[in-house]
Amino acid sequence: MKAINKEETFHRVVLKNASPHHYMKVHLELEDNSNRLSAVELKHFIITGLKNLHGEVGAALNFDVLKYDEGSLTALLRVHSSGLVKLWSSLTLLGSYQNQSCAFRVLQVSPFLLALTGNSRELQLH
Amino acid sequence: MAVFMDLNLMFSADRTRISKLLETAAHLGFSTVAINYTFEPTSLLPLQEIPVPKPINELIDQLPVVQGRSRPIRVLNRLTVVVSDPSHYRPNAPEYRRFDLLAVQPTSEKLFHAACMLYDIDIICISVTEKLPFFFKRAPINGAIDRGVVFEVSYSAAIRDSTMRRYTIANAASLTDSCKGKNVILSSAAEKALELRGPYDITNLGLLFGLSDGDAKEAVSSTCRAALLHAETRKTASGIVIRDSDKNATSTCAGDTPAAKRVKTT
Repeated sequence: MKAINKEETFHRVVLKNASPHHYMKVHLELEDNSNRLSAVELKHFIITGLKNLHGEVGAALNFDVLKYDEGSLTALLRVHSSGLVKLWSSLTLLGSYQNQSCAFRVLQVSPFLLALTGNSRELQLH
Repeated sequence: MAVFMDLNLMFSADRTRISKLLETAAHLGFSTVAINYTFEPTSLLPLQEIPVPKPINELIDQLPVVQGRSRPIRVLNRLTVVVSDPSHYRPNAPEYRRFDLLAVQPTSEKLFHAACMLYDIDIICISVTEKLPFFFKRAPINGAIDRGVVFEVSYSAAIRDSTMRRYTIANAASLTDSCKGKNVILSSAAEKALELRGPYDITNLGLLFGLSDGDAKEAVSSTCRAALLHAETRKTASGIVIRDSDKNATSTCAGDTPAAKRVKTT
């Protein structure tokens, strides 16, 4: 029987470029809260934003809407890590939807989808 | 790590608007904000009134708590003077003492040079609503960096209009080229709550403007803090801040009240 080595040495694992995709949880805040978009309309809206800021090359950036909750206007987006800055900046600078002001609130960004399940910012301690 | 700050929230007389702005800023994670009063003197009216800042408790009943922290948001007052003529900026005017931060927006090359090297201010605003009428030169910018003055780029014009977007990015990129990314702050010039963006969103925008990763994050946190400390030292005559262990006190030269700066008459 092999003796179990009781000395556990500290082991550090560093992952570089661990995940090819980045995941973003975003919430669309509209001036008029009763307005609702379908998933297709949302994707078209984001592509328009990309086109306005980064042109045709930006609009060609492949991103997916993985989950969309129409009631709360919260979406889970996935994009290649190389396109994260472009997508994020076009979401930030997107200002109006059909002539009313809007704002994209980015709630979480992570290279791992599992990290998006828990959000310490929305933790209620009381 | 320094806390996130947004040093440019436009003042409006509408109380609900300001309170909504402050609540949204606290919800997004900004620990300190500054309400900006713009003052644009024209040569037609020689002695216009410099606006007086409203006390904070008139603007909002109870300061909202910053998300993720236990303290309420800290609100400061700031004055921006849009100078188009050298006589517009009056050094050591007593009205300036009511404001915590002092900013200047120069509109010509000479005024920009004067603002960088001579004026007693904390922030130099780079205009984003028009193409810059002058080019940045390394010499005055390095002089300003040595003195501790920061350069400010506002991003809410980029949200409102696509032509402004081009000007914002162009002017910001030429600024970062000349100053190598040091002493830059990014702030909204938000009039509505929907024009505010979270601190990490602004950090990402900084990458678009040509700042490096570290510089972009500093533009929202530690450089803003540096500007605030510079403003505190500017208010005192001797230029140092001493914190008492019992209470906060700024240094005094002699006597009880801090020595006010006076224009040299000799």
